[in-house]
Amino acid sequence: MIQSAKLRKMTLLANFMAIAIVLNIIEAAIPIIPVPGAKLGFANIITLIILYVYSFKDSLIITLLRVVLVAILSGRLLGVTFYMSFSGAVFATLAMGFFKHLNYFGFVGVSTLGSIFHAFGQIAAGIFVIGSTAVIAYLPIMLFLSIPAGALTGIIAQRFYIIWQSWHNEIS
Amino acid sequence: MKLNLSVKNKRDFLLVTLLFTILGGIYILFRLFAFQGEASVANVYYGNSNDPIVSIDFVNYRVIRNYDQNVPADYNQGYPIIDEANQTITLLGDYELDGTRQIVVIQYNFGAKSVQIIQEQSPNNICSREGVSTAWPLICLPNRIRVEFETNAEDFTV
Repeated sequence: MIQSAKLRKMTLLANFMAIAIVLNIIEAAIPIIPVPGAKLGFANIITLIILYVYSFKDSLIITLLRVVLVAILSGRLLGVTFYMSFSGAVFATLAMGFFKHLNYFGFVGVSTLGSIFHAFGQIAAGIFVIGSTAVIAYLPIMLFLSIPAGALTGIIAQRFYIIWQSWHNEIS
Repeated sequence: MKLNLSVKNKRDFLLVTLLFTILGGIYILFRLFAFQGEASVANVYYGNSNDPIVSIDFVNYRVIRNYDQNVPADYNQGYPIIDEANQTITLLGDYELDGTRQIVVIQYNFGAKSVQIIQEQSPNNICSREGVSTAWPLICLPNRIRVEFETNAEDFTV
């Protein structure tokens, strides 16, 4: 029984990761907002779902693996954009883990706060990459845009989680 | 559980509204008041160096080439290229297409005291889409080339 639960978790995490990679690549191909690294962050839906369905640890591992795999697949490993998305992902996942642990906000709140920290993480990496604080000029617009983006991913993740729970209860 | 979720949804809604208002306000204030004033010098930087590779002096109408860019030998061309007739500066960026680093062309205007990135290769072309700038820093992140202005007004850049 325990064995099959483990197998189930592994299979599901692998599927989640595959979905996150596809979402990430599709999204990178569609430039919507004229700001460095600004996008809706649909791959973050998966990070949020794993955070609630499994644990913070699983979520962090899957997210970081996803960032590295996307970088390898798009041929940008160890490039400027890689450092920025990696740093952003670490900041966002840590923040979401923390705010989920607080148990005060729901999906949308946790997701929005996470995306704000994602912007801070990206700017921090940007300062490091370019050796100048001039990148901070982009921080206000990124913070502002991260709110609708974070709220939207939060709403989608919440919808998924409600359906997931009813489905999960049927099985077990 | 049902009640718990709706309480949290209410908090979420408040949080998102509050953050949206505050950060929206900060953004508008920043856009209005930061990086304003007339530029006296525009500095072009490459990589994470803090020494400008080219300085555009808007007061004395001069373009000063401070040092050469460190370019691999197989590019058989020295950078930066300063074209006084077209008022352009060409540098070699870090962004690669088919393994070849791409050039970044910066155009300056002494009369308007402005700078514009007119040609560069990158996934989103953020710095060239920024258009003409008189004080706002132009940052081509994938190319690791940036233009920063020294203005006479109070400096917000730190």
